[in-house]
Amino acid sequence: MWQVAPGNEQKDLTVIGLDSKEVRLSISDLDKLPREDAVVMNEDGTKTTYSGVKLESILAKVGAPTGRALRGNALQQLVMVSGRDGYSVPFTVGELDPTFGNLRALLVYRQDGKALFRYQGPFRLLCPTDKAGARSVRMVQTIRVIKLSPSKEPK
Amino acid sequence: MKLPGALLVITGCVSLVLASSSGPITSTPYVWQLPKGFPKPVVPPDNPMTLEKVDLGRHLFYDKRLSVNEMQSCASCHRQERAFADDKPVSTGATGEHGIRKAMSLVNVAYAGALTWSNPALRKLEDQALVPMFGSHPVELGLDHDNRFLQNLGTDATYKRLFVAAFPGDREPVTLENVTRSIACFERTLISGGSPYDHYHFQGDDNAMSEPAKRGEELFFSQEFACFQCHGGFNFSDATVTARESQPRIEFHNTGLYNVSGSISYPKPNVGIHEHTHRPEDVGKFKAPSLRNVALHAPYMHDGSIATLEEALDHYAAGGRTIASGPHAGVGKDNPNKDRRIAGFQLTAQDRKALVDFLRSLSDASVATNPSLGNPWRVTQHASEPPK
Repeated sequence: MWQVAPGNEQKDLTVIGLDSKEVRLSISDLDKLPREDAVVMNEDGTKTTYSGVKLESILAKVGAPTGRALRGNALQQLVMVSGRDGYSVPFTVGELDPTFGNLRALLVYRQDGKALFRYQGPFRLLCPTDKAGARSVRMVQTIRVIKLSPSKEPK
Repeated sequence: MKLPGALLVITGCVSLVLASSSGPITSTPYVWQLPKGFPKPVVPPDNPMTLEKVDLGRHLFYDKRLSVNEMQSCASCHRQERAFADDKPVSTGATGEHGIRKAMSLVNVAYAGALTWSNPALRKLEDQALVPMFGSHPVELGLDHDNRFLQNLGTDATYKRLFVAAFPGDREPVTLENVTRSIACFERTLISGGSPYDHYHFQGDDNAMSEPAKRGEELFFSQEFACFQCHGGFNFSDATVTARESQPRIEFHNTGLYNVSGSISYPKPNVGIHEHTHRPEDVGKFKAPSLRNVALHAPYMHDGSIATLEEALDHYAAGGRTIASGPHAGVGKDNPNKDRRIAGFQLTAQDRKALVDFLRSLSDASVATNPSLGNPWRVTQHASEPPK
């Protein structure tokens, strides 16, 4: 059962690496990373510009493998993005990496230059090329790198 | 509710020569004044919106001459002060016959992908209007099939003017088809997007919603409560169509409201879309209505069997309703057709209040009071003003 105590606003994002290395990032920390903008068409035909950073920029903070390091067992790693309400969506490191899937996944924290509303912020995941919005995790609280552990080797 | 098939092709008309004495009349295209965040609604190509049709439709909507005994109009069960829904579990028709389902809200009906609780095929307002007008199981407005009411309308000076203005190209504009077209046009204008929720999200007013209501919103959209899965989107209903997405797949849901014994687990005749599909898995499946203005039109569910928002939340928290005794006794959460998303959740008193506060924040007081959507006969000073 998750709880949000009124007035107890979330300010930071927790990123946890495979080795349990934990980094807490605030908006001012994210402002120091390369900025990415995405323009999204709303249901009423208007457009909204979301601003944030690429997910891979955040994963680099906890040493997640990328590029040439993504080989063999490293490809069994997942990135689980979880919201304050318990909603979680996994991505594979391969699908995010520019040398493989190159999925554009952004952690956004501004909407037309303003902070996100509480119901979706302060951090939200945005996959601008997705057709459906179900991977747009709102109120992102934790990004955790985990490794799949196949129970049996294929025979 | 059954409607004779032949009725659907009736285009009855009266032989009145209606002409303008002041030259050709042109129609004025209706310009949507949509709330921020609202997409353009779907409009059938064969019935474009015009100001004149909307005006005529509004007069017809509130006119009791559209019932067999001039006792009821559309507005009798779709009351403006109740967000164009009823406050009774089931409505009573002009002849006193009780209906079997709660009258749905017509607010934002322009976005409704399915128009009734349980008829997947009824998707056009122009067709739906015929059901209350002529349906006999139950009788609602109870109009006769000989369309005598059209003759009454055709002799009314106000209607002579309104029909000619709305259908300037028709030699005999007072037809059943034009009646339903006009009512549909008026109904499409019943758009509500001025709730505290809208002010908070679309007008940037941080104080429009209370803190408990904001918390309730987080619960509503949380994975655990997952209310949004059926009541999502700008209109808080998964049965929503827009001009951009006019053919979505509309889902109907069995929420575990009943589980009566026997092969049909819902009390007859309210068996959901099974009534039309006859598939066993469709027993108890009903439309997820829009939750906009929901606080204005209790009671709830297709048969009005839940009195309050709190009680509705308890039903979903329990994963279905248990009725201990009586003809409808049964454990709803065990209904074999229950939507797997109705899995139940822990609901504290604090969360319950927060969710109710959130649902109340979806109420747009203006739609319930806006005079331009109200009864035009109250302000039209005319000799043939219809009976009150």
